[in-house]
Formats: sequence, C-alpha cells, structure tokens
Amino acid sequence: MNTLKPEDAARQEYRAGFVTDIESDTLPPGLNEEVIRHISARKEEPDWLLEWRLSAYRHWLKMREPHWAHVEYPPIDYQAISYYSAPKAKGDGPKSLDEVDPKLLETYEKLGIPLREQEMLAGVAVDAVFDSVSVATTFREKLAEAGVIFCPISEAVREYPELVRQYLGSVVPVQDNFFAALNSAVFTDGSFVYVPKGVRCPMELSTYFRINASNTGQFERTLIVADAGAYVSYLEGCTAPMRDENQLHAAVVELIALDDAEIKYSTVQNWYPGDERGVGGIYNFVTKRADCRGARSKVSWTQVETGSAITWKYPSCILRGDDAVGEFYSVALTKMRQQADTGTKMVHLGKRTRSTIVSKGIAAGMGQQSYRGLVRIARGAEGARNYTQCDSLLLGDKCGAHTFPYIEVKEPTAIVEHEATTSRIGEDQLFYCRARGIPEEDAVNLIVNGFCKDVFNELPMEFAVEANRLMEVSLEGAVG
Amino acid sequence: MSAIDRLRAQAEAVFARHGVPAPRLEHWKYTDIRRVVAPFIDHASPAASAEQGGVPNPLRDLDAYRVTFVDGRLVDGDTLPDGVRVRSLAAVLAEARGEEASRLLAVDERAPLFNGLVALNAARACDGLVIDVADGVCVQKPLYVLHWGAVGAAHPRHWIRLGRHAELTLIEHYLSDQEQAGLTNGVTRLELGAGAHARHVRLQQEARRRVHIGRLEARQARASSLVSHSIALGGAWSRVDIACTLADEAARCRLDGLYLLAGRQHADHHTEIEHGAPFGVSREMYRGVLDGRARAVFNGRIVVREGAVKTDSAQRNANLLLSDRAEVDTKPELEIYNDDVQCAHGATVGQLDAQQLFYLRARGLSEEQARQLLTFAFADEVLAGIKPPEVRRYVERAAFGKLPQAGDIASMLQQAGGAA
Repeated sequence: MNTLKPEDAARQEYRAGFVTDIESDTLPPGLNEEVIRHISARKEEPDWLLEWRLSAYRHWLKMREPHWAHVEYPPIDYQAISYYSAPKAKGDGPKSLDEVDPKLLETYEKLGIPLREQEMLAGVAVDAVFDSVSVATTFREKLAEAGVIFCPISEAVREYPELVRQYLGSVVPVQDNFFAALNSAVFTDGSFVYVPKGVRCPMELSTYFRINASNTGQFERTLIVADAGAYVSYLEGCTAPMRDENQLHAAVVELIALDDAEIKYSTVQNWYPGDERGVGGIYNFVTKRADCRGARSKVSWTQVETGSAITWKYPSCILRGDDAVGEFYSVALTKMRQQADTGTKMVHLGKRTRSTIVSKGIAAGMGQQSYRGLVRIARGAEGARNYTQCDSLLLGDKCGAHTFPYIEVKEPTAIVEHEATTSRIGEDQLFYCRARGIPEEDAVNLIVNGFCKDVFNELPMEFAVEANRLMEVSLEGAVG
Repeated sequence: MSAIDRLRAQAEAVFARHGVPAPRLEHWKYTDIRRVVAPFIDHASPAASAEQGGVPNPLRDLDAYRVTFVDGRLVDGDTLPDGVRVRSLAAVLAEARGEEASRLLAVDERAPLFNGLVALNAARACDGLVIDVADGVCVQKPLYVLHWGAVGAAHPRHWIRLGRHAELTLIEHYLSDQEQAGLTNGVTRLELGAGAHARHVRLQQEARRRVHIGRLEARQARASSLVSHSIALGGAWSRVDIACTLADEAARCRLDGLYLLAGRQHADHHTEIEHGAPFGVSREMYRGVLDGRARAVFNGRIVVREGAVKTDSAQRNANLLLSDRAEVDTKPELEIYNDDVQCAHGATVGQLDAQQLFYLRARGLSEEQARQLLTFAFADEVLAGIKPPEVRRYVERAAFGKLPQAGDIASMLQQAGGAA
C-alpha cells in the first residue's frame, strides 16, 4: 500500500514567488577588484574595511569551490552574477518607514511581514534586507533606550566602527572557506546587533531577506554580539521571486557570546526552491558560526529549511568558555528536486561544555536530504557532553535521506551519544488515525507535525506559527 | 606478454595512478600510512623465506582444517573433504587460462572502498587460496588459515566461492615476528551462492612494528547469510575494509568487530554494506577499548538502493576511552534512496558507568577489579558471537592480555567459570 503520491507533493506552488517592480541600482555582472572598490565606495566604508574585502577577494581567487557536499548542480559562473543591487534611493534613503518606497512595503505585506503593524502591535523589531541593502529597521528608539544596537551593518560600520572592527571576521575569518571568502569580499548589507553588558533585549529582533532583482546574488553579513550577561533572540526569514535561473545566496552569520550571555538564533528559510523539473531556485550556501567565548555562555540555533534548490549550511558552535552550551534544532524539508546538505558542528573546547543536536529531515518527491554533522571533543574538555538525534522521514520512493555524522573524541571523561533513524510514516500510525475518522491528509500532517515537534517547540511563537503553516502548505496534496 | 603479465601490469598501473591513500581522501581522513608503508612498496617478498622455521602454532585445541602462509606464500595445508576444491593462487596462475586469471587478478576501481593498495595487492600477490565449495556442501570443521609474517611485505589474495546452500567457517589469523617491521596487505573475496552461509573471523594480532592492511569483499546472492567478526588487537597500524553487497533478495549479513588498543597503536575499520535488493537485513556492532595514546577510527556506511524495499538495517558503534591521551573518530553513515526501509544507527563514546562500578564495589570488588570486569564485559559482547567456542575463548584470552592488570580478572573469571 503506497498512500503517498510524491507527484502531488511536488506540485504545490511557491507562494512568495512574485517580482516587485522597483527601480533598482544594479552593478553590471562580474567580479574584480574594481567591483569591490565600487561597493566599498558606495557604502562610504573606511579604508580598513576595503583592505579587508580585498584581502578576502585575493584569498578567494586562490581557493577552489568545495564539492564534498552530497549535492549536484551545474558549475556556477561567478562572473555572470551582479554583486550589487539596491532599490534606487530617493535622496538619502529612508529614515523611517514613512519614507520607504510603498511598493517595497507592499512586497513585505504580501510576504506576511507587515512592518507597520509589527511596529505597532507585535513588538518585534524588524530589519528588512531587500536584494543587497537594508531598507527599513523598525523600533529603533525603543531599542536605543535599552542600549541595544540593531541596525544595518553598513550603518554600523559608519556609526560604531570600533565594535565592528573588533568582531567582524573574528568567528568566520576571511579565508575560512570558499563561500565565506566570497561573502567577505562582496557583502553589501545585513544586520548588526550589539547587546551591552547585562541587558536583556526587550523584544525579539527580526530580519527579512528578499532577493528581488534577477541575475543578482545576495551576500549579506550578520554580526551579533552579546556582551557579558546579555540575552537576545533573533529571527531571520527569507524569500525570493520565481525565476528560471539559479541565484546564489552566500551569507555569513557570526555570533559572539561573552560570559553568561545567551543568543537564540531562529531561521525560517523559504527561498524559491525551483520548479518540479528542478529549473531555477536559490543556491543557499551559507556559513553560520557562533563563538561561545565566555564562561556559561549559550547559543541556540533553530532552523526550519523548506526553500532553496540547494542548501549547504552548517550552523556551528565553538564552545570555548567553560560550561558553555550549544544547541541545534533543525527541520529540513526537501521536495521536488530540492537538495539539502545541512547539519551542524559542535566543537567542545571548554570544560563541562554541553551540546544538543536534534535534526529532523523530511524528504518527498525527488528531494535529497543529508545531515552532515561534526562533534569534536578536544583534549581537556573535561566532562563535555553531547547528545545527537537525527531522524529522517521519507515520503515517496524516489527521494533520499542520508546521514554523515563525524564524531571525534580526545577526552576520556566526555560522553558523546549519536542516534539516527530513517523510515517512512508508519502504516500502523496512519491506520490508527484513519480508524478514528481522521482523513488521510490530516493524518499525515499530524504525524509530520509530531515528528517535527521537538524543533518547533524551540521556535519563538511568531515563527512557530509560520513554520507550522509552511509545513502544511508544503505537504499539501502529499496524500491521495 | 602473457595474459597474466598483462593483468599484473594493469594492476601496477592502477596503483601508480592512485598511490598509497592519503588523508585528503575522505575515507583516509584520519589514517595516514604513507610514511610507514613506503619502505615496503617495492619490497618483493623473498621466496626463500617460505619455510616454517619459527612459525607458531596457536589454537592447538581447535579441530579444524589448517592452512599456513608465510610472507604471503602457501607453505602447508590439510586436505579438505569432498566437495571442496582448494587450489593455491600460485598454482592456478601458473596454469590458468585467460578467463580465470582475469577473474582472479582484475582490479575494479569502482568497487566500494577501493584504494590504491587493493591494486597493489593484485599486482604483487604471489599466492593465496582459491576455494570452491560445491552446492549443498556443508564443511563441518572450520578452515583455519594462519598468516605468519616473518619479514618484509606480504600480499595474500584469497578467493572463496560458496555454491548454493553451501556452508563454511573461515578463520584468518594474522601473526608476525615481534622483531621485524613489515607490511601485510591482504584481500579476501567471498562469493555466496543462493542460501549459502559463511562465517568469517579475522583475528589480527600482528607484531608491534607491523602495518596491517586487510580487505574483505563479500557478494551475497539470494537468501545467503554472512557473519563476520573482525578483531584488531595487534600491529602498529591497522586498517581493515569490509565491503558487503547484498545483491539479491533476502540476503542478510552481520558485521561485528572489536578493536582493543594500547600504546601508540592505530586501528581503522571502514565497513560498507550495500543493500541492492529487497528484504535485506543487516546488523552491525563494533566496539572499541582504547588505552595509552591509541587512536581508533570507525566508519560504517550503509547504502540502501532505490529498489531495496523492506530493508532492515541497524548499526552500533560504542567506544570506551581509558586514557586521556587516547582518541576515537567515528562516523556511522546512512545513504538511503528508498522510503520503505527501517534503518537506525548509533554511536557512543564514553567511560564506564558509575552505577555499574558502584554495584560491583558494593559487592566487595576493588575499584580496579570492577573496572577490569566491566571493560571486559563491554568487549565481550562482541566476542560472544564468535564460533566455534575454542576461537572465542582464544580471542577472549588474547583480548584480556591487553587490558592493564588483567591477571586478577582472568583468575576471577576462571573461578567463576569453574564454579559454573
């Protein structure tokens, strides 16, 4: 009995796939030192940042694109991408929401991010990044009162150069990997967050990314610093219009948690996944890393990955401080011809450091799903503890689910546990629901929801609702 | 140029292309043997060494057919019963027609876990066993193959084919001269006919300066079953690759292993089970105990192909670190291209359970005794499946010998055994 029809699952449409008709200021395709100088000049950046970009570019030229991930895609022509695209500024750019191009705001409303409403009601401060530039940041006054800095990184470079210079690239150095080097050379915007000592950020911070213009790549850079005893919860969401060509998204996210600080980073990634034949879609090649520098610091990554043609993403924690805690909760869904190679790295350096990894992969249609993780316990990380659970659920007989966990232990007092299972939805579970009058499709939704529950529970409320909706939409028609 | 010379030259060319595997290869990430293997690459095993001087005779109480190899050459062998055709590779190659020679010496670069050393074996192997067990023949006594490494490099190459419903237990025991450095680079191929049943025990107790490279390749037909035990106790460096292909319906395999290391020993196990057909069952359990500055690597890969529905697969790897200088790198991998499967794997690294220690301490055992007993019990879970029992007892004793202060616990177990 095969009750699941992957063809149907593959057919459901991408709801964020519209294009906004906005005049934009775009550089011609191609990458060379001139382009980087141009971006830097456009952003009115100081010399040190330009030098930093150029050194990243020179490293990048010497590096080769990595191909160890369990994904397949045609070669990327880095000279065919435009590295800068900004909605055309009216005068000096918006100072508040009132000055933002109404068409942009309309876009965000279509995406279900009512910036204005959120400013009034939801109590979530939003920084929206459109193509490569940050277009609006809400709630700045209230945050400023608490001493929290939340602004586009390009602005932070101008306003808080010392902070940015101190932390930028300290977690993901320019020569870290091919895509990180590329990002360091050409990043155009992103968010900067600094939470001062002992401050609990009064609201959730949120960024929405959208790629709008065609032939562009998006290279945003996010830097979050939680000073001693600080707490911040940060949410990130992404969409892109439907296009036939593949677009590159190579972001870098750096988190720094000092003594007793806690950062909670949540992502709902819904980039355009391409169509059912695998045409178009975003290549999501992202480097995310957290440095738990301080004692008792904590970083928690939560991600819901439903979009992108190809995902290549490993949010990691370097647990440097004693008693530091790292967490990774992930739900990844691949359908149609999507491919995802995602997981995490937990590097235990400090004593009594703890990490938890819960990864739930769902593959439908012809989707290929891989969990790739590293747990490394260094010598001297006494009493370190890791627990990893990665489960895969298969819907359809043409999809694939793979697990590649690396475990490296050099410390005898450490305890590391890894468990993984792969199966399809149990026929007995389905039968149980059906026998109680629950239609098949609802039953599948219910079971999938239960499968993901450990992860959804970790999401902030606003995102949990969105994630649930995304999963439901994605599974629509999955059952015949 | 004869057919055999041509095959040898081809294998040599493949080796030249791949070379000794380097850590930039994913499957050799943690094991760099280039330096230790180099002196033996062009070391032809001396024909004259093929004498039995100094060859030990362990496992005397085992009732088995015995075959002895010295430095990769067959020196002595019992006659096997009717229905079992045993020839030496050297003899087969001396008279072989092209077809059989190419079956025995061909190098398949697409084979799972292939690396340059597999080609090196095909190029340099001077001897081995070529065994055919006829349909329906059940070989009652195990076949015990002793490999003695006296000096230099040995490249034994065995080819064993079991007919339909045939049964065979094969024990490969590797020992070598304590005073000599050397290299063993062995390849064993097993072909199991429909309904055939094979047991394979690889007991690696090489000398402390020796490098051991081993490979077991099994191809299983319908409803055949394989039970493999790979025990790594000796050698400075050891690397064992086990690749098992469940090529037809309802085949099953069980791969178990134990690595018990001390000093600066390095042992690496890579296994790959390919489920290529429906209703396959695989079970895998590897355990490791690491003391001193030892380092162990385990990589277990399970691949379930598109058509292999109703696959049932479970894999476990557990490691015990006894010293703060020891290291373990483990990677249980799953690659699944089909939704109608039950697959699970797990890996753990840790220390002895405090509650279990307390339990034994409360019963009057010293801290050290309790530790030894629990460590032994941990390792013995793998050994319990080894048959025949004489081999299991031998391996238990050998494993014991490697635990620090094993004397106490050995006598304690003997008392317990005597009482029971």
